[in-house]
Amino acid sequence: MSDQIRIGVFVCDCGSNIAGYVDVKALAEYAKTLPNVVYVKENLYTCSESGINEIKAAIREQSLNRVVVASCTPRTHEPLFRGTCEEAGLNPYLFEMVNIRDQCSWVHMQERESGTNKAKDLIRMGVAKAALLEPQESIKSEMDPNALVMGGGISGMTAALALANRGYQVYLVEKQAQLGGLLLQLDTLGPSGVDAAAFAASQAELVRNHPRIRLMTSTQVKDISGYIGHFKVTTASDGKEEQFGVGVVIVATGAQILKPHGLFGYDGERVITQLELEARFKRGTFSAGNVVMIQCAGARIEERKYCSRICCMVALKNAIQIKETHPGTGVRVLYRDIQAYGTENEEMYRRARELGVIFINYDVNVPPKVHGEKVTVTHQLLGRELDLPADLVVLSTPLIAGEDNEAISKLLRVSLDENKFFLEGHVKLKPLDFATDGVYLCGNAHYPATVREAISQALGAASRASIPLAKGVMTVEPIVSTLVDEDACRGCGLCVALCPYGALEIVRTEKGRKVRVIPVACKGCGVCAATCYQHALSINSYTDRQIAEQISACLESSG
Amino acid sequence: MQYTTDARIIRIMCTGRVDPTMISDAFLKGADGVMVVGCHFGDCHYITGNYQGKIKVGIAARALDYVGLNPKRVFFGQCSSAEGERFVKMVTDFDKDIREIGPLGTGDRLPPPQLHEKIEVAHTALAKEKIRWVVGKFTEFTTKGNKYGERFTEHEMWRTLDTIVMDEVATYEIMRELNRGPVSVKTLSSRLKLPSAHVLKYVLALQRRGFAELAGIEGTSPLYRIARQQVDAA
Repeated sequence: MSDQIRIGVFVCDCGSNIAGYVDVKALAEYAKTLPNVVYVKENLYTCSESGINEIKAAIREQSLNRVVVASCTPRTHEPLFRGTCEEAGLNPYLFEMVNIRDQCSWVHMQERESGTNKAKDLIRMGVAKAALLEPQESIKSEMDPNALVMGGGISGMTAALALANRGYQVYLVEKQAQLGGLLLQLDTLGPSGVDAAAFAASQAELVRNHPRIRLMTSTQVKDISGYIGHFKVTTASDGKEEQFGVGVVIVATGAQILKPHGLFGYDGERVITQLELEARFKRGTFSAGNVVMIQCAGARIEERKYCSRICCMVALKNAIQIKETHPGTGVRVLYRDIQAYGTENEEMYRRARELGVIFINYDVNVPPKVHGEKVTVTHQLLGRELDLPADLVVLSTPLIAGEDNEAISKLLRVSLDENKFFLEGHVKLKPLDFATDGVYLCGNAHYPATVREAISQALGAASRASIPLAKGVMTVEPIVSTLVDEDACRGCGLCVALCPYGALEIVRTEKGRKVRVIPVACKGCGVCAATCYQHALSINSYTDRQIAEQISACLESSG
Repeated sequence: MQYTTDARIIRIMCTGRVDPTMISDAFLKGADGVMVVGCHFGDCHYITGNYQGKIKVGIAARALDYVGLNPKRVFFGQCSSAEGERFVKMVTDFDKDIREIGPLGTGDRLPPPQLHEKIEVAHTALAKEKIRWVVGKFTEFTTKGNKYGERFTEHEMWRTLDTIVMDEVATYEIMRELNRGPVSVKTLSSRLKLPSAHVLKYVLALQRRGFAELAGIEGTSPLYRIARQQVDAA
């Protein structure tokens, strides 16, 4: 490649999508006048096969060493054009995209002239940046073929088994002595009526006997450092520390139960939680003449705004169980809204009503009152207070975020939502991944889930986690931070503290303390470069100089 | 969904990439307004990058405001990639604001040539260690606290930064004047429109740090100039 910069500019008509609103002929003519531009072509559709072939031919025949495409949007088409450059033997990072559809033709439909002038400016800015682009090589790193699963409840066990069955070594860390999590406290699982403890025990048996699962109970994760492919985990058990390396981490740490102290006269005897009711079923000690269940006890109120989602189904399941085993017992459910989504759960609601369970709606502003052997509730339709007999009151309390969530979120550099549950990377595109690569989540750690949902999520998370494990090698986009001026770096660590991904570290070198970028962990946000007072760091393809050139090109008039 | 043709977009990966000097640079090159738009808080694609972006834009806006730029010319906005309408409204409103203020140097506290000179000084100050260090420590000091466990409110941090901006702008402005030839504190004081006592403090600090030196005496006033080794080093 010669030192001379030879830029080719391709202006896309996008049929009439761009050409209908912007004077593309004028753009092409204008592009020819720009510095370093040696070739300009207007295409009907640059992304069509013929458009792509024209780019490839021009790279070869015109010895282009930079390519600028002025068309739709990098969101959808940048990978295609980068690939085109690569196929023609040009480094894909010597490509720059100018957005004249989303930023011109679509938003300036009535302003052909000023829209065209804006498109000219954008092309000038793109060309100015392109001249400064440098080739980049994608970053490769080998994966540690092991996984850490945090939490030995149903989600954690399921995820661990799924990964182990695929042939990966799994470290399953549970802080309690026993596997099973919340399942251990349940009686049966709705809507199928499966025995919860037996189910937990059978899964635990599979986990214990699996040759590829290293089970670590009564163990806490003390520290996790590193990044996808190379996490270094430190655990502690009985004061003994242990270290091992994993490539991926699944967070399945579950949630905790809200003990409703101070709510509706909770005493654990006559006013109990659904969980305590299940314990009575389990021991066979349940007996009551009239049961009143109060939904949303401690949920969807000012201090805890969210719906715990599963409590309605638990109440329905337990109400049915009472009616089936003690037909003479009256069951009344005081609710605000019934959340019984999906066909089976809706069926449970229908069945409960068939069996004579009475549902009474209450208003959050006039909550039911428990006193003595009765519960008073203001009936919304009758508009007056009803006294309901109740020798047993059962509170449907929400699940709340795990007590260790904040500590874990700091260890793994992952986010929590406003209720301190773990926050997925994207609600639709990455529901089981965290924003941090190589870390996944499932089950109650994310949000209250039914056992069935927790299992689906665990299988999904295991599947997501096995993608980088199966590839064995990580390839990362090279748009990352680079220490461009090592002499300037004072090793102060200001950038290290601000990096959202832990992608920077201070190392000792012959020249003293210097920052080192861990490219596989870096996402290229640029916080470090924007912070460094020595201007020692830069971001590939978004350097200070490239951006400054764009600003200059933007503000010089197109005439 | 249509908006003004007067906005030009420069793509960056995250608002966290915005260096405060990029904003001053744009005004030096003649921009009438700068918008920095990124994700909502809590929804940052880069976890916490947008918090840093807000602080960087904030310090640029404050330093530029201090030297005479109309603060309405700098805007930090948030909208998700699914909120096209919101973006359009933001650009439209900003365009309206800027039109009301007029081109650079009209609705500001200084006319164009003086404003440009002052922005140059702010640009230098924003590139230097002192401001950038405190900006870099902003989050740590407001969340975890400093070495001694003292936590500061955002308000306290901005107040501290405001005084640092004052000091830094004065210092770099004095440096520029000293670079132009020997000058007395009194003359500096009238050129910078700062009390002589303040100017003297800055000049002595510069002398102590080896940036300024005595150049002679005019009547009863000492004259100062940029230190020789600084000139040699440059």
